[in-house]
Amino acid sequence: MTTAEAGPVVTGEQIAEITRDVWQSFLSLELVVASVDPFAALGGATSTGCVHISGEWNGSVFVQCTQAHAQQAAEAMFMADPGSLGPDEISDALGELTNMIGGNIKSLLPEPSRLSIPTVADGDNYTIRIPNAVLVDAITLVCEAGPVHLSVWKV
Amino acid sequence: MKILIVDDSKAMRMIVTRTLRQAGFADHDYLEAETGLEGLAQVDGHSPDLVLSDWNMPEMSGIEFLQALRAKGNTIRFGFVTSESTDAMRELALSSGALFLIAKPFTADTFSDALRGVFAT
Repeated sequence: MTTAEAGPVVTGEQIAEITRDVWQSFLSLELVVASVDPFAALGGATSTGCVHISGEWNGSVFVQCTQAHAQQAAEAMFMADPGSLGPDEISDALGELTNMIGGNIKSLLPEPSRLSIPTVADGDNYTIRIPNAVLVDAITLVCEAGPVHLSVWKV
Repeated sequence: MKILIVDDSKAMRMIVTRTLRQAGFADHDYLEAETGLEGLAQVDGHSPDLVLSDWNMPEMSGIEFLQALRAKGNTIRFGFVTSESTDAMRELALSSGALFLIAKPFTADTFSDALRGVFAT
C-alpha cells in the first residue's frame, strides 16, 4: 500500500463523524481528534478490523485500536464485567464496529457496491497489506479507552 | 409477540434486544439467529410475529432471507437493521416486502418510531 492521495472520495472529517456517532451510540464514549502522530499513538498490541468494498468503487476500511480499547468496547457492547470476555467476543464486537463504519462509509461512495463480512486481526507485530491500494484518507481519534485509527484505501 | 433477531454478530443481537426493551418493547419473547438460513429455520419452527434482520451476513444475506420467505408465500412482518442504508437498498428492501430499514447506529427512539405502526397492526 502507498500513502499517495487517491482523490477526495471520502474525507477524514466524514470518517471521524461516522466513527464518533458509532462510539457515542453503542459505547457511550466521546471521541475527539488525536493531536499526536497517528501510528505512534497505537504502540503495543493492537487489534484491526477490516471490511472490503467492491463494485463501482473498490477499496477497504481499516479500524485499528489498542487491544485494551477493543476489550473495553466489547465490554460496553455486551454489558460485560471487565476482563470477563474471551477473544471471540472481543473480535465479534470490533468486527461489528468495523462493519458499521464501513457500511456508513460505503453509503458515501459510488453505487452499486458490496460490503464484505468483517475480518479482525490482532497481535504485537503484524502487517495487513492490500496490494496496490492507495490511501484515500486516515484519521486518529481518541477517547478514555485509548486511540483508534481509521483509514480508507482505494484499490 | 415473538420477535426474531437475525444478525451474525452476537454483540449486535444483544444491543438490538436491549434497545428494543429500552424502547418499551420489554414484554415480548425474543428469538435469535446468526444467518438468513438459520433465520428461515427459526421462522418455520417458531412462527415469530416479526423479523428484524441484518443485511450483510454470511451464507444467506438479509435480502436473500426476505426473498426466500416471500417466495414460500410467508408474509411475516419483516424489517432490516443494517449498517448500509443507500436509497437503492431501501428501495430493494421495500419492494421485496420489508416494512422498514433501520440504519446502524440507532437509538431506542429509532426503534420506537419504526415499530409503532407494526405493533399497532
